[in-house]
Amino acid sequence: MRSQALLLLVAVSAIAADHESLLIQNVTIHPVTSAEIKGGSVLIVDGKIAAIGTKLSARGAKVSDGKGLDLYPGLINAGSNVGLSEISSIRDTVDIDEIGVFNPQLKAEVAFNPSSEHVQIVRAAGITTVLSLPSSRGEEFSPASAVDAPILPGQGALMHLNGWTWEEMALKRGAALDMLFPIIPSVPRREQTIGGPPQRTYSELEREYKVKLEQIANFFEDARRYAHAKAAGEPDFQPDPKLEAMIPVIEGRRPILVRAGKERAIRDAIEFAEKEKVRIIIADPHDIGSTAELLAKHGIPVVLGETLTLPLKEDDAYDSQYALPGQLFKAGVKFCFGTFDVEFARNLPFQAAAASAFGLPPQDALKAVTINAAEIFGVADQIGSIEKGKLADLILTDGDPLEATTSIKAEFIAGKPVNLESRHTRLYEKWNARP
Amino acid sequence: MKRLCGLFFVCALAAMLRAEPPSSFAIRDARVVTVSGSELAKATVLVKDGMIVDVGPNLAIPADAWVIDGSGLTVYPGFINALSTWGIPEVAPAAGAASRATAAPAATPQPAATPQPRVRGPEDRPQNNSYERAADLVKPTDHRLEGIRAIGFTTSATFPNRGILAGQGALIDLAGDQGADMVVAQPIGEQINLRTGGFRSGFPGSLMGVISYVRQLYLDLDQYQQAKSIYAAHVSGTPRPEYDHYLEGLAEAPRILLPADQAQQIDRMTSFAQELKRPAVLYGMHEAFLRIDALKQANLPLLVNLHWPEKAREADPTDVPSLRELEMRANAPAVPALLTKAGVHFAFYSEGADSAADIRKQLKRAIDGGLPRADAIRALTLSAAEVYGLSDRVGSIDKGKIANLVVTKGEPFEEKTTVEYVFVDGKLFKPSKVPPASPAGERGRN
Amino acid sequence: MRTLLAFIALTCAAHAESILIRNATLLTVTKGTIQNGSVLIQDGKIAAVGTNLSAPAGATIIDASGKFLSPGLIDCHSHTAVEGSVNEGSLSDSSMVNIADVLDPSDINIYRALAGGLTVSNVLHGSANAIGGQTIVIKLRWGKPAKGLIFEGAKPGIKFALGENPKRQGYPSELFSSPAAQQRRYPGTRLGVEDEIREDFTQAKIYQTRWKLYNEDRAKGVHPIPPRRDLRLEPLVEVLEGKRYVHAHSYRADEILALIRTADDMGFKIRTFQHVLEGYKVAKEIAAHGAGASTFSDWYGYKYEVIDATPYNAAIMTRKGVVVSLNSDSDELQRHLNWDAAKMVRYGGLTPDQALAMVTINPAKQLGIEDKVGSIEIGKSADLVLYDKHPLSNYSKVLKVWIDGHPYFDLDQDLKDRITLADRKKDLIAKEKAEEDTAKKKADTERRAVDKKEGKLPQEGAL
Repeated sequence: MRSQALLLLVAVSAIAADHESLLIQNVTIHPVTSAEIKGGSVLIVDGKIAAIGTKLSARGAKVSDGKGLDLYPGLINAGSNVGLSEISSIRDTVDIDEIGVFNPQLKAEVAFNPSSEHVQIVRAAGITTVLSLPSSRGEEFSPASAVDAPILPGQGALMHLNGWTWEEMALKRGAALDMLFPIIPSVPRREQTIGGPPQRTYSELEREYKVKLEQIANFFEDARRYAHAKAAGEPDFQPDPKLEAMIPVIEGRRPILVRAGKERAIRDAIEFAEKEKVRIIIADPHDIGSTAELLAKHGIPVVLGETLTLPLKEDDAYDSQYALPGQLFKAGVKFCFGTFDVEFARNLPFQAAAASAFGLPPQDALKAVTINAAEIFGVADQIGSIEKGKLADLILTDGDPLEATTSIKAEFIAGKPVNLESRHTRLYEKWNARP
Repeated sequence: MKRLCGLFFVCALAAMLRAEPPSSFAIRDARVVTVSGSELAKATVLVKDGMIVDVGPNLAIPADAWVIDGSGLTVYPGFINALSTWGIPEVAPAAGAASRATAAPAATPQPAATPQPRVRGPEDRPQNNSYERAADLVKPTDHRLEGIRAIGFTTSATFPNRGILAGQGALIDLAGDQGADMVVAQPIGEQINLRTGGFRSGFPGSLMGVISYVRQLYLDLDQYQQAKSIYAAHVSGTPRPEYDHYLEGLAEAPRILLPADQAQQIDRMTSFAQELKRPAVLYGMHEAFLRIDALKQANLPLLVNLHWPEKAREADPTDVPSLRELEMRANAPAVPALLTKAGVHFAFYSEGADSAADIRKQLKRAIDGGLPRADAIRALTLSAAEVYGLSDRVGSIDKGKIANLVVTKGEPFEEKTTVEYVFVDGKLFKPSKVPPASPAGERGRN
Repeated sequence: MRTLLAFIALTCAAHAESILIRNATLLTVTKGTIQNGSVLIQDGKIAAVGTNLSAPAGATIIDASGKFLSPGLIDCHSHTAVEGSVNEGSLSDSSMVNIADVLDPSDINIYRALAGGLTVSNVLHGSANAIGGQTIVIKLRWGKPAKGLIFEGAKPGIKFALGENPKRQGYPSELFSSPAAQQRRYPGTRLGVEDEIREDFTQAKIYQTRWKLYNEDRAKGVHPIPPRRDLRLEPLVEVLEGKRYVHAHSYRADEILALIRTADDMGFKIRTFQHVLEGYKVAKEIAAHGAGASTFSDWYGYKYEVIDATPYNAAIMTRKGVVVSLNSDSDELQRHLNWDAAKMVRYGGLTPDQALAMVTINPAKQLGIEDKVGSIEIGKSADLVLYDKHPLSNYSKVLKVWIDGHPYFDLDQDLKDRITLADRKKDLIAKEKAEEDTAKKKADTERRAVDKKEGKLPQEGAL
C-alpha cells in the first residue's frame, strides 16, 4: 500500500532524471480522449509524451514496470487559492482579496508560494495543475457586500504543482481575469434579537447593484479608450498598469472567469459579456434556473464549484446541487470543476464522482477534471489527456482516481517524477513510530 | 346634563368628540349582544356611574338618564385587546409613522464609552423587568387610544413588553383623567419574551440560554419563597434570605405569558408551562393549525395574534417564499375558526403597532377564514376576560359589570359599518364621522 | 414524506409492519459481509439475518438484488435541528443550557441527512466556551415532534471545548475596542481553559456536598433553608456521578493530555474527544483513559491549531486501540459520511469494514448505544440503509432508509413528493396573487369614487 507506492516512486525517481527518457510499461492507460489501452506503455522524452501503445520499444529510455496499475492524466483543479493562502483564519498567511474594486493587473502567480504545504498535499491526490485565483469564494459567501467590494480582484494563473520557483511552475500566466459579479444580497428574515442594526430594503440593495453594473460598464469603456489611445502611438501616451491588463481581455485573448452564483447573476453576466464583447466562463454557479440552454447556446463554459453543497432553499430537492453537473451535461454545456478554496482542493475528484451518482456519466466526470479544464483555459495542447506531444502530467493509481478508496501510487508533472510525501505523510510516519 | 366642574385634564387632541360625563344613560330598544347569554333583539341597556345597571327588554328608564335611540343599532361589550402595549405612550411608535413599524419595542442599552461589564449568568438578572407594572406606566395621553376606541376597543390587557421578563400587565380601560383611573385590575400576569441579544451579546445569547434562565428564575423563586417562610418561622439564628426585587416581581404575577407561534414552539412552550408548574397562557399561535388536537389536550388559555403573517413589503421579486411560509400565510387566519370548531377557547390580541384600520381588516380576515362572527366577538370580549380571570367584571353586557360598550350600525369589522358610540367606564365617546385626510404622496397632485 | 404535511406527528409510533429485505449484499459491520443476504424486520427490530429467509404472512417484501444494505449511519458531532444559536458563548461555563430545550424537528437538514443514510445524531452545543451546554442524542425521525426525536435510553452529554475557540473572547482589549463590546471573558489562554474546568468542577463538588449535608439534616428532622438549586452545577455533578457523558472538542495533543489529567484528578471520565486532530500523538493516553475519539476524515488548514492535522489520524489512533469515529460537524457533510469513511482506505489502509465501522458501530459505542444500533445484528433496531452500490464507492446513492423499521426516506417517494410540493406552492402563490389583485382593484375603485366625490379628475393613466 503506502510502502509499495514509496518503493515504486523511489525506483522511478532513481531512474528518471531531468533529461532522461522513461518508458512506463504494463499499465492500463486511460487517455480520456480515446479508449483505454490494457497492457499499454507510455514513452516520456524531454518531459513530453513521445509515444503511446502496447508494444513500445525502450529506445534507450529507462524502463519502469507499472505492475498492471492504471495510468491517468494528472487532474486539474480549475478554481482554487492554492499557493496564495496557507491558514485561512490567519490573515498574515493569506494573500487573496486585495483592497480595491478594479484590480485586473494583480497576478496570482507572483505570490504563489512553491513551499506552501498545500502544494504537496494537493498533488498527492493526483492533481497536477491548479488554477490559482486571487479571490475567495465571492460575495455570496462573504459578509454583506459593501459599496467597495472587489469586482475584478486580479488574474488567475494555471500552476503546475511542482517546481523550484513560481516561474517554473506557471503553466499559463493570466489564464483568466477573475471577476466577482455583483449580486443583490438576500434580505434576511428578522430574528428574535433585542437591538441590532436596521434592515436594508430590497430597493436600496437593488439600486446599489445597478450602480455597480454601471461602474463595470464605465471601467470597460475606460479600458477601450486606453487601448485606442495606445494604438495611436502618440509619444505623450501615459501607460496605466490597470488598463494595460485589460487589453488582452477586450481583445478576446483572455477570458473572464465570472463568479455568478444565482440565475439573475448568470443572466446579467451573459448580457454583460454580449454588450462588452468579451469571452466569459461562468464560475461556481449554484442556481442555474433555466440558464443552461442559454449557456449552451452562447457556448459559454462553466467551472463548477463543489458538488457537495447544501440546496439553496428549504424547498429545493435534496440533491439539487448534486444533480447540477448532470443537468449542465444534458443541456450540452461544457464544464470542468474547481473547489474555490484551498483546504479541500485535494478532494476535487470526489466532487466529480458525487455528480456521477446523480446523473453525470462517469466518463464525463473524468473529462471534467482533465481535458475539459484544459480546453476551457486554452492549454489542451499541453495537458488534459494522455496524447502524443502533450506534457507528461500523469498519475499511476490502483483504480479509479475519483474513488476515495483508490491510492495514488506515483505521479509525474512535465515528465518529472513527483514526491507524493507531504506534511501529512511525514506526521504519519513520525507518530506511528511513537512507542 | 350635569357638567362636572373642577379638575379636568383636557385632552389635547380635539378630533375626537369627548362627551362631558353625564352619569346616567339609557340605550333604548337596540339589538343587544350580551355575549354571556343569548342575543336580545330589542332591549335597553341602563348605565350609571360607570356600571351597567340593568339590561333587558322594556326597562323603566330613570328620569335623569340621557336616552340614546337604539333602533337599527347593535350594542356589544367593548372589545378587549388581550395583550398589547396600548396605554403606555413611550412604547407607541411615533405618531404618523407607517403603521408597519415593527412590534419589537425598545430595549437597546445605552452605548458606553468603555466596555460593558459582563453578565455572569442568571444571578445577574439580565433583561429582567419582572417588577415593572403596566399599571404604573399607563397614561390616557397615548395617541393610539383615540383611533382604537373609534373601532370599538374599550379595554386592553396592557403589558410593558420590555426585555425577557417583560413586566406585569394590567387590565386597563382605554380612557381616564389620569393613568390610575384606567386600571381595572393588576397584576394580571408576567409576560415572557424569548428574545436574545445574539451571539456577541451578554447572557443569554441563545434561545436555550433564555429558556434555562427562565427555568432558573422560577427555581430561585421557589427557594426564595421557601426560605422566606422558614425564616419567618425561625428568625433567631437563621441566615436571612437576600431581598430580590426581581423575584418579588415574579411572585406577584398570577400567571405567565409564553410566546409560541410555530408548531415546534407550541410543543416546547406547552411542556415548559407544565415544567414550571405555573398557570400559563400561550400567545402567538400562527402555526396552531398544525397543533389543534395538541392544544385541545393541553387545555391552556391561548391568545391569537391578529397580525397575520404576510408577504414582506420590501421583498426581492425573484425570491420565492418557502412552502412553510406560504402555508402559514394561507392558514394562520383560519386558526381561530379551527380552534372554535375544536372547542378550544382563545382571545385575540394585537401587540400595539398596528393601526385601527389594520386591526379591523385582520378581524375581517379571521371571519372570512371561517370564524363565526359571534365567536369573533366572544374572542374579543368575554374570552379575553376569562383568560385573566376577570369575567366577573368585564367582557359581557350583564348587570353589575363595568360599562364598557360599543354601539354599531351594522356588523362589526365590515367596511360599511360605523361605530356610533363607545362607552369606556361609563363615559360616552362618539367617534368622528369626518373621513381621514388622504395620506400625502398617494395622490401625487400639485 | 417530504412535504410539511409530514410535520404532523405520525400516528404509527411503533411500526408493527413486517418487512423482508431480500437478496442484498449485507454489510453487517460486526459480522462480516453476507452475499445474497436478507434481513427480516419485525416490530421495529431486526428479527432475522441470513440467506434464504422466508417472509411471514403479510410482510412487505423488498427485492434488493444487486443492492447493498448497511446499518444506519451515526454522526457523533452534529448541530442540526437546533433552534437559535448552538452557542451560549457569553459565559465561561454555560452548562445550564440544554440542546434538548431547543430541538427543532422542522429543520429540513434532518431530511437531507436522512437522504444520505444518516439515522442517529449526537447534537451538541458549540465550542465557544470551556464548558458548554447539555447535549442529546436523536434519531432522525423526520415528521415527528421534538419529543419523538429523542433516542430513548441514550445517556445525555455535555460539551467541553479546549484550544482556540473557548479562549477567543478573552483576548487583549484591542480586539474589543468598540463601545458596545463587553469586557474580556476569562479565560484568554489555554492555561485558563484548563483552570476554568478545574474551578467549575471544584464548585460542583462543593454544591454536591452542600446538598448532601442538607439532605442529611432533613433526615435528622432539621429543616434548614434549602440551598439554591443551581442549574449550572447540576450537570457537572451528574458528570461526577457518571450519569452524563463528556464530549470534549479538542485539537492539540497538550490540551488533550491536560484534560485527561484534569479528569483523573477531579474523578470523572471523558467519553469522547471531538475533532481531536492531534489525537494520534497521544493515542496511547487516550486509549488508556478509555475515551473515544470522534474526528474528521481529512480536514486541515483552517486555523493554526490544526497545523499538525493529518488524514492518517484515524488510522493511527485505531491501531493504538482507540475507538475512532468520523463525524461531520456540518449540515452538508452529514449527508455522505459513507464517502468520508471511504477515505480511510486511502489514508492508512484500513479495511472497508474498519472504515464503515467508523460511521456505524464505533460512534454507537462512543454514545453507549451499541446494544441498540450500529450494526446489522438480530435484536438491534432496524436502522438500515439501502444503497445502489457499495456505500464506500463515491458513485453510490441512497435508495431507502429505515429507522426502527419505519421507512423514513424513499427515493421514489421523494421524487413524487417534489411534484406534490411544487404544485401546492403554485396553488398557494396563485391564490395569494389573486387576493392581492382583488384588493388592489378594490383600493383603486374606492380611490376613484372618492376622487369623483371630491370633484377631482382621475389621474392620467390611473387604472
